[in-house]
Amino acid sequence: MEFGKTRGRVTPQELNPSSGPKPKRVPKMVGRRKKEKVKRKKNKANIEELKKEVVMDDHKLTLEELSRRYSVDLTKGLRPEKAQEILDRDGPNTLTPPPTTPEWVKFCKQLFGGFSILLWTGAILCFVAYGIQTYFNEEPTKDNLYLGIVLAVVVFITGCFSYYQEAKSSKIMESFKSMVPQVDNSSLTGESEPQSRFPHFTHENLLETRNICFFSTNCVEGTARGIVIATGDSTVMGRIASLTSGLAVGQTPIATEIKHFIHIITMVAVFLGVSFFGLSLMLGYSWLKAVIFLIGIIVANVPEGLLVTVTVCLTLTAKRMAKKNCLVKNLEAVETLGSTSIICSDKTGTLTQNRMTVAHLWFDKTTYEADTSEEQTVNTFAKDSDTWFILARIAGLCNRADFKPDQETLPIAKRATTGDASESALLKFIEQSYSSVKEMREKSPKVAEIPFNSTNKYQISIHLREDSSQTHVLLMKGAPERILAFCSSYLLNGQEYSMDEEMKEAFQNAYLELGGLGERVLGFCFLNLPNTFSKGFKFNTDEVNFPMENFCFVGLISMIDPPRPAVPEAVCKCRSAGIKVIMVTGDHPITAKAIAKGVGIISEGTETAEDTTAQLKVHVRQIDSRDVKAIVVHGSDLKDMSSAQLDEILRNYTEIVFARTSPQQKLIIVEGCQRQGNVVAATGDGVNDSPALKKADIGIAMGITGSDVSKQAADMILLDDNFASIVTGVEEGRLIFDNLKKSIAYTLTSNIPEITPFLLFIILGIPLPLGTITILCIDLGTDMVPAISLAYESAESDIMKRAPRDPKNDKLVNYRLIGMAYGQIGMIQALAGFFTYFVILAENGFKPADLLGIRHDWENSYVNDLEDSYGQQWTFEQRKILEFTCQTGFFVSIVIVQWADLIICKTRRNSVFQQGMKNKILIFGILEETFLAAFLCYTPGMDMALRMYPLKLAGERDLLLKSAEEELHMT
Amino acid sequence: MTKKEKKSFNQCMAEWKLFLYNPTTREFLGRTTKSWGLILLFYLVFYGFLAALFSFTMWAMLQTLNDEVPKYRDQIPSPGLMVFPKPVTALDYSFRVSDPESYRGYVDDLTKFLKSYDLEEQKNLTACPDGALREQKGPTYTACQFPVVSLKGCSGVEDPEFGYSTGNPCILVKMNRIIGLKPQGKPRINCISKGEKTATLSTYPSNGTIDLKYFPYYGKKLHVRYLQPLVAVQVAFNTTSTGKEVTVECKIDGSPNLRNQDDRDKFLGRVVFKITMHA
Repeated sequence: MEFGKTRGRVTPQELNPSSGPKPKRVPKMVGRRKKEKVKRKKNKANIEELKKEVVMDDHKLTLEELSRRYSVDLTKGLRPEKAQEILDRDGPNTLTPPPTTPEWVKFCKQLFGGFSILLWTGAILCFVAYGIQTYFNEEPTKDNLYLGIVLAVVVFITGCFSYYQEAKSSKIMESFKSMVPQVDNSSLTGESEPQSRFPHFTHENLLETRNICFFSTNCVEGTARGIVIATGDSTVMGRIASLTSGLAVGQTPIATEIKHFIHIITMVAVFLGVSFFGLSLMLGYSWLKAVIFLIGIIVANVPEGLLVTVTVCLTLTAKRMAKKNCLVKNLEAVETLGSTSIICSDKTGTLTQNRMTVAHLWFDKTTYEADTSEEQTVNTFAKDSDTWFILARIAGLCNRADFKPDQETLPIAKRATTGDASESALLKFIEQSYSSVKEMREKSPKVAEIPFNSTNKYQISIHLREDSSQTHVLLMKGAPERILAFCSSYLLNGQEYSMDEEMKEAFQNAYLELGGLGERVLGFCFLNLPNTFSKGFKFNTDEVNFPMENFCFVGLISMIDPPRPAVPEAVCKCRSAGIKVIMVTGDHPITAKAIAKGVGIISEGTETAEDTTAQLKVHVRQIDSRDVKAIVVHGSDLKDMSSAQLDEILRNYTEIVFARTSPQQKLIIVEGCQRQGNVVAATGDGVNDSPALKKADIGIAMGITGSDVSKQAADMILLDDNFASIVTGVEEGRLIFDNLKKSIAYTLTSNIPEITPFLLFIILGIPLPLGTITILCIDLGTDMVPAISLAYESAESDIMKRAPRDPKNDKLVNYRLIGMAYGQIGMIQALAGFFTYFVILAENGFKPADLLGIRHDWENSYVNDLEDSYGQQWTFEQRKILEFTCQTGFFVSIVIVQWADLIICKTRRNSVFQQGMKNKILIFGILEETFLAAFLCYTPGMDMALRMYPLKLAGERDLLLKSAEEELHMT
Repeated sequence: MTKKEKKSFNQCMAEWKLFLYNPTTREFLGRTTKSWGLILLFYLVFYGFLAALFSFTMWAMLQTLNDEVPKYRDQIPSPGLMVFPKPVTALDYSFRVSDPESYRGYVDDLTKFLKSYDLEEQKNLTACPDGALREQKGPTYTACQFPVVSLKGCSGVEDPEFGYSTGNPCILVKMNRIIGLKPQGKPRINCISKGEKTATLSTYPSNGTIDLKYFPYYGKKLHVRYLQPLVAVQVAFNTTSTGKEVTVECKIDGSPNLRNQDDRDKFLGRVVFKITMHA
């Protein structure tokens, strides 16, 4: 609900009624209802409209005009029946909740998204092949059925797992929600200062004008009476909310990568399948067999274990990030953060501490710096000056802020206070660097006070003097220029001098200097009241009955919301990592620029065009814009810019600050960055930020100060609100991208020794060297832990020193990776496996030459006197056991060559000796895969369960080791 | 709308063409000829080397093998049993007495198989004493004669049709050759008809005896011209029975180290076959 005008109490019946017979608005709203069904078509146009600023002229009307427009009585409000009528028409004053995806849809997304599609296709093909086989009664083998079932089960379990993971992180989010009380800062404009409201029209802009209150903002002080002009979804907040839920979200980079990967794998699979389909037809196999082979080859190309590996790797990183205060809501966002090339950051709370702190003091014609670090331990200014004592007393006494009770144990900086930010800052500063304010106030009790207001711009309090408790002192603080106007003398080293031009100039310089730093400056002065105002005098603050001139000027204190200590370093890291940091704030340009300079968003030595012109005293147009790297863009300028102009700014300037931006503009900025092909991260806490959060490739909400809506729209939540945490998140994201590459390379490699047996089985007619079950044992058994262990691999070089990944060219899986995995290492592995296979067969009587073309008889269960190379005859079962022993041998040899492969994949640029073997999980992985292989091979009963037979230790193992060694030597 | 789609399709085709061959950069499938050549060269050398390595290791492995006896024989500790001739599918014999073409295949197979058991062929073989294992020390190994006449009506001497034309078909049962196998006891082949007694079985030599003198076998290379001992089963259908169909099960008996009962291997020391005779 938004209401404008009239001061006073809001009567209940006024809460609900909304826009009365307002000519423009009403048809529009009715229209919207009708359009509901055709909404999808109109959606895009609607979104475009929502992106624009709210156009409304209610705030420009006088009260009478307004009351006529809404046919509401200014004192009585609406008649109950009229209110009821409007309520029936517009519905209650609540936001339409965004269409939440039901849990089962979320679950299905996990089940059928990305990688899973590949496995599902594989599973379906398996069932098709099994169907064909049973229908035509071809080779009554159930391998295809089992494979199909296993594939389906794997996808299902992985789907459940990632669903569970995401459900868990959203649960963490919810628990977080209940912990943090909502802050009353205006979630709409991003300004945290309470603002006064009165019925006069002050500003063309709806958001700036002082006569409108907005939905969802809280009243901090005072009472008011107003007319409701909009409710629910038609409020400014409602528009933002519907804009957020209506925004189309692009694919995450990792989803794009996985799509690309599936393309490559499908291409390889179809190519192999079709060429061997033709080949098997040429070799004289029947059509039916050839089709079964085709399906078999395509399915064999599906990396069964990869889905699990990728999911687990991302989950591990998400957990690691959560420990570093980045809570990831959606697993894929883990990597997105790593590819980020632009961060659009808020100022307040993210880059700064969100806490006003005294930064500078000016007295005795000298500027002193106060310590603004979060601990505030060092104080480095002249504490022995008498002026300081007086200044400190004014700041402490003429101050309405106070510490909340029961906080004596906390450090002063951490204590909670009542009162506004500046006064609290002064209170803490005095408490810390002078003495207890409480004692001070007890010694000099306050007798009268004029509180600060925006027209006076000063605050006066009158106290009993500490030394002679019979007389009073008048203390005053306020806007420096106002203060100076009251003064006729000034204090220098405790001595009072009458005001002169020199002093005035010094004051002006100091005021400009501190203001230029983006600090809020307050001036302080006092007046010792003469004896006529002795104890007991009734001070009247309404009709001032005490002197209000010839005060004595003491000094200036300036305050700022200082940057968080870790932020400059983090920004510097971003810069070296090729990430552009753009500040987007609702604050004043000067403050924004000062903070930007303070944290390094505008780096030292770089100047904006305005700086240069001020220095060289030339006109802005005379400066070559190419020489200027930094720019501060004012929100009102941004409003008039075309998107081409915005693009130009984003392209040409490396250091950009957007100040005084309105809610919708952040979204425009994010979109502008995305148009340049950047992966954009945007931070925000307010509801007004949520469209930008949703639109950005990764939206980062603030855990502590963030509103629920922003958290809902975001992909990631910063638990400590600290910008520096984003940078550690980027680091993790980049690392996982590198490590995923390694994991995928490792997992894909064993695909070749898994496919080639089937190919040679078809072409050469040899007994099948590796069966479906053994393949599954590799993909879902032995390969799993080593592949996951690569996620724990540490970075090879400083990943924060290189430019962000170019999503167009730097792919997760490229032809080079496939070439290396399939063409080179995979081939070596296949040879190792085949060698083992031929050795076992030869040593048991079937020499390689006699195996060629043996398939037909070998597979015939009625041929029970198949002759080997030595004249012995084998029954079907006997030679099958031999075949399965060979398959076990092939399996074990793959496991062993995978040791070498793991060490090869462990590094991409460095050598193993540079990188070292510090990854304990990896060593565990090697041991685990070996023990698992031994377990599968030697456990009694495995012959029945998995058709794996024990190998003889001596001979074959020697050969296996030799083949592994060969592989290591070669690569 | 259609215009736009067509354009995008043309664009797509143009992109493909450019990908296939880009005349400005002279790139073929995204690479220059030189780049493709280098890749080809690399893989040629690489795979050449791999092939050489593989061939060498295979050669070295074959050098370690004994030509006469395989390194391991533990995969076949006990012999399987098999019938001859082998029907095209499964072990179902089916023929029509009145139609010689229907059993010509069986008769031809048997004739061919028994050719090596011909008296002329056996002339140079040793006549070994019955009833004892015949272990030899080498360097030359001799094979024992197998008196084909002991197969009686199934020897093909008296009846070149092996009883098929008269409705009493012969089937040979043989034990798989295994190097070094020494049967204990007195092994014999015992055949019974399963289910209804629709036929009587006669085994030759009498009792289905397999003489120990044919053991042990020394392998294809050493034991040249070795003759496998054979047992013939002749089926005589009862004239009374209506169905001319019988399922026969043969087992090795009388030797404790020759197994004839295995859950998985249905042919280990036993064999089951079916004969269907049409009028």
